[in-house]
Amino acid sequence: MTFRQFVIRNVFRNSRLYAAYFLSSMFTVMVFFTFANFAFHPVFYEEGFNDRALLGMGVAGGLIYVFSFFFVMYSMSAFLQSRKKEFGILMIHGMSTRQIRSMVFLENLLIGVLATVSGIALGLLFSKAVLLIAENVLIVSESLSFYMPWNAIGVTFLSFSALFLCISFFVAFLLRTKKLTELIKSDRTSKGEPKASGLLVFLSLFFLTTGYIIALSAEGTQVISAFIPVAILVMVGTYFLFTQLSVLVIHRLKKERSYYWKKTNMIFLSDLAFRMKDNARTFFIVAIISTVAFSAIGTLFGVQSYLTKGLVQANPYDFTYHPYGEETIEDEKVRLVNRKLEEDGVRYEAQEVAVSDFGGIVEGDEIPILPASLYNSLASLTNLPEVAPAEGEAVVVNSNLPQAEGFNQSRNLGKKEIPLSSGEKVTPEKSVVSNVLPGVVDFYVVNDATHGNLPEPASSDKQYVWQTSGTEEELVGVGRELSDEFQPGSFTAIDFAIYEINRTYGPILFIGLFIGIVFFFSAGSFLYFRLYSDLEEDRKKFSSIRKLGLTDKEMNRIVTKQTGLLFFTPILVAILHGLVALTALANFFDYNLVEESFYVLGGFAAIQIVYFLIARTFYLRQLGKAEASA
Amino acid sequence: MLEINKVSKVYGGKIAHRALTDVSLEVEDGEFVGIMGPSGSGKTTLLNLISTIDEPTNGEVKINGENPHGLKKQKLAEFRRRSLGFIFQDFNLLPTLSIEENIVLPLTLEGEKVKEMEKKSLQIARKLGIEEILNKRITEVSGGQAQRAAIARAMIHAPSLLLADEPTGNLDSKSSKDVMELLEAMNKEEKMTTLLVTHDPQAASYCDRVVFIRDGKFYSEIHRGEKRQPFFQQIMDTLAFLGGEHDDLSTVRHS
Repeated sequence: MTFRQFVIRNVFRNSRLYAAYFLSSMFTVMVFFTFANFAFHPVFYEEGFNDRALLGMGVAGGLIYVFSFFFVMYSMSAFLQSRKKEFGILMIHGMSTRQIRSMVFLENLLIGVLATVSGIALGLLFSKAVLLIAENVLIVSESLSFYMPWNAIGVTFLSFSALFLCISFFVAFLLRTKKLTELIKSDRTSKGEPKASGLLVFLSLFFLTTGYIIALSAEGTQVISAFIPVAILVMVGTYFLFTQLSVLVIHRLKKERSYYWKKTNMIFLSDLAFRMKDNARTFFIVAIISTVAFSAIGTLFGVQSYLTKGLVQANPYDFTYHPYGEETIEDEKVRLVNRKLEEDGVRYEAQEVAVSDFGGIVEGDEIPILPASLYNSLASLTNLPEVAPAEGEAVVVNSNLPQAEGFNQSRNLGKKEIPLSSGEKVTPEKSVVSNVLPGVVDFYVVNDATHGNLPEPASSDKQYVWQTSGTEEELVGVGRELSDEFQPGSFTAIDFAIYEINRTYGPILFIGLFIGIVFFFSAGSFLYFRLYSDLEEDRKKFSSIRKLGLTDKEMNRIVTKQTGLLFFTPILVAILHGLVALTALANFFDYNLVEESFYVLGGFAAIQIVYFLIARTFYLRQLGKAEASA
Repeated sequence: MLEINKVSKVYGGKIAHRALTDVSLEVEDGEFVGIMGPSGSGKTTLLNLISTIDEPTNGEVKINGENPHGLKKQKLAEFRRRSLGFIFQDFNLLPTLSIEENIVLPLTLEGEKVKEMEKKSLQIARKLGIEEILNKRITEVSGGQAQRAAIARAMIHAPSLLLADEPTGNLDSKSSKDVMELLEAMNKEEKMTTLLVTHDPQAASYCDRVVFIRDGKFYSEIHRGEKRQPFFQQIMDTLAFLGGEHDDLSTVRHS
């Protein structure tokens, strides 16, 4: 048996020991490859694709790579930690430090190559699955087809060969040999309980609150300039929160004997305190990664809904035609729309909207005033309540478009008076909110008779609106064909417009979503890895307490609490951070993101719960297996 | 108090292995009984059957007239923590807990009041001479002290039967002597019924009676008279007859 044979056999015959490290490496490669697969997709290199989106993708790819590096590194060091005793035994039998290093180096290279190859293979399958999802969820079906990604395979293979080579060198160097006895006894020495410092606990709370306050109070463009200081404050605060505050809380709980000495609390809490040093670091990384994932997805989702929702609100009709400067041919154009709808068998109601604007109400501005009959026929098209102003009365109509917030007050129509041609004045009594008049933020509605008494209008404007009973698909089709017939900007087919936004925005949203999900899942496997590295210790512990009479139920309870805490503490903190970030974002856009935040954060929380349940079941099964074989 | 009636144990698998054959044993209330035998004779199997960690293939184990092997898993665990006390060769103390916390562990699982637990732990720690190290960690105390803490843990809930599996196996001779004297004292003063499995004839000489088993069968038993020294000699002689290897007489760990 040569030395190399020994190393290779050591890996293959100990496969259970290496499995965790191998799997986490493979997972990392798979994630990176799937991403590269999209990044190199030919569709992004065709003409017309946003350069900035490509740059964003490059940055994201770099981030994933850096993250992979740390993840593999962390897995590796945890793995080596658990093998100290083995190294001790080998050294007793005369293995030199150099040989140990070259063994670790060779092992790492072997696992690295295997992980890279199998990661790419799995990534191919995974990409296909993601593409299927993408086709169904987003409108990218025609552009993102499956292809044989030689580029991505090459890049992944090279990057990870470099990564594993680098880590192999690094780890072999890192492995400073301590005294033999220390290595052999390494599984018995205590890691010790970390101590909390009062000052740092205070700093943690101080940093977090300051960061939150700045983020929440920033308005408009301040949000951008506040971003970096807030991110730093919150990161430092979070780090101390986990390394200091958590330790302090556990210490307090341990001092409270009536709680600490109650049933299984003692076993649970003492382990928690013991592992806090390891946990704190994981918690910090996971919380930050998850926050990034939440904020990225929340932002993209928010921007998309900001664009589409606003558009839908601003255009309550299926089709709107505004003939700017082509009054001579407008009848022909209107007939074109009618004919097209009839050809496709779509039932419709059309309405001509002739609006007169009047001066002399607001300084330097012309205000549209509608007769009640016109307003009511528009209201019935959009299913809004009708209004019935009496003679000499006026109703103020405000739109509630998100884009128009803050704009409404400036004209302040409720406080103004409308002069009639007879010299009398009409003051508005009521106000309603609706968006029936596309392109107009606020206007008056008066009785038909009163409208006749208005002075000569300063200007007038004409629009045509259609409301149909067609399906979304039909409307998109009609919209596509009609759009070519009109001057840009004069004709709005809302379903087609939304479709177009989704189509251009789809790939960007998809990539953002994908990166977010990758980050989030990596965080999950990070947690599982942390849990898994305590398995051996927990096995020993539970087998000895079970001899003393710990029931299975009690053990399950302890494991559930332990796993729950591990999975939910960082996520709760991340959700809190994410909420603050999204609120700040909403302030920036001046647009309410509550619903979107709820979907994004709720979705992640749900995934995390599923993750937790799976991890707990697996862990309990592992513990049970150990029990049976002992 | 403990009745073992024609107990056999066969380990299944590709090659069935008969670990115990028709072993019977009766232990009176307050008795201190040692079980000896060469490696592989079935001592530990027997102890595992009594401690309900393992189930007999045939025969019956009765503790206080009750057969614990008929209990459900949940009840069995509860039975163990109420009625039995365990002492192990490697102490089995939890490194994350302090000595005191280790000692009160069986009581906390039962949900006893904190005041009561503190009182009991102090009481037993005084008796065993470890009240100074109550707040220390396992890694900060010597092997002898750790084993005394384990004895305190095994006895704090006043079990009806104390089971000790090679309690001196990991200790030096001075600590071994201390631990055995303590066990003897507890047996005499507290009337604690104790079952001791050991390789060590020195340790076994503290018992009232020593039962020898060999190849999974009952071999012989000897009773102690007034003095410990002649009893030790008797044990040595029996072991020599038993035909175990000479190594078995040392305190080197076999399992």
